Amino acid sequence: MADEKDDDMPDFSDVQSGASSTAPVAAEIYVVKSGDSLSKIAKQTYGDAKLWKRIFEANKDVIKDPDKIFPGQKLKLPRN
Amino acid sequence: MNKRALVSLLLPLAALACGRSEPSPPPPTAAAAPTTTLPRPVFVASVTLGKELGPDKKVLAPVDSFGPKDTLYASVETGGAGKAKLRALWSFVRGGKTAKVDEKTLEIDANGPAVNEFHVAKPSGWPKGEYKLEVFLDDAPQPAATKSFNVA
Repeated sequence: MADEKDDDMPDFSDVQSGASSTAPVAAEIYVVKSGDSLSKIAKQTYGDAKLWKRIFEANKDVIKDPDKIFPGQKLKLPRN
Repeated sequence: MNKRALVSLLLPLAALACGRSEPSPPPPTAAAAPTTTLPRPVFVASVTLGKELGPDKKVLAPVDSFGPKDTLYASVETGGAGKAKLRALWSFVRGGKTAKVDEKTLEIDANGPAVNEFHVAKPSGWPKGEYKLEVFLDDAPQPAATKSFNVA
C-alpha cells in the first residue's frame, strides 16, 4: 500500500495566526502544531511569552506537563 | 340543573323583559398566536479574503491572489444570534492532496450580525500555489463556506 503521507508538501509550522470578532468572544481555540510550546503560543497570542501560565491554567484538563503539548491538541486561549 | 346555573340563565331573560339591553359580547376570536419568536441561530453570511482589514474587521479590498509575504485575512460575516463556534481551516492544495496550514476556532456569543476575522502569516514566506479556506459552523462536518485562492 502506498504511503499516504506526502513528504514534498511545504512546511507550515512557522505560520502565525489570530482571530477576533465584533461579537463577544467566549474563547479562542488553538490547534497545536509541530514545534509549538506554550510560551510560543503565548507570544503569538498575547505578545508576551511569559503569559504561558495563563494558557496552562485554562487547559489543565488536557495538559498535565506544560513542557509536553502535542500536535493536534486543542487549547483554549483565554481572553481578558 | 343546579340553582346557580338556573339563575345565570334566567337573569338575561329578566333583563330583556325589563327593557334593558346588555352590550353584546364580542364575537369569539381565534386564540392569538404567540408573538415571541426564537432568534435565528448564527449562520455564515459571507466570507471575504483580503490583505488588510478595516476597523470594522471587514477586508478593505477583496482579493483571491496573494504574494508570498502577505498576511492573509478572512472576514467572515455572520447573522443570527446565540453562541456559536466558527472554525477556520486554511489548507494548501497540490495535486489533489491538501496540507493543513492553520486551524483556529472562535467561540462567539452573537446578538445579531457580526464580523469575525481570521488571519494567518508566514514570516518565511508562503509557498506559491493553490490554497483554500474552509469555514465551519459549530461541529458541522461540512464547511459553511469555502474560498479558494492562490499565492503567486
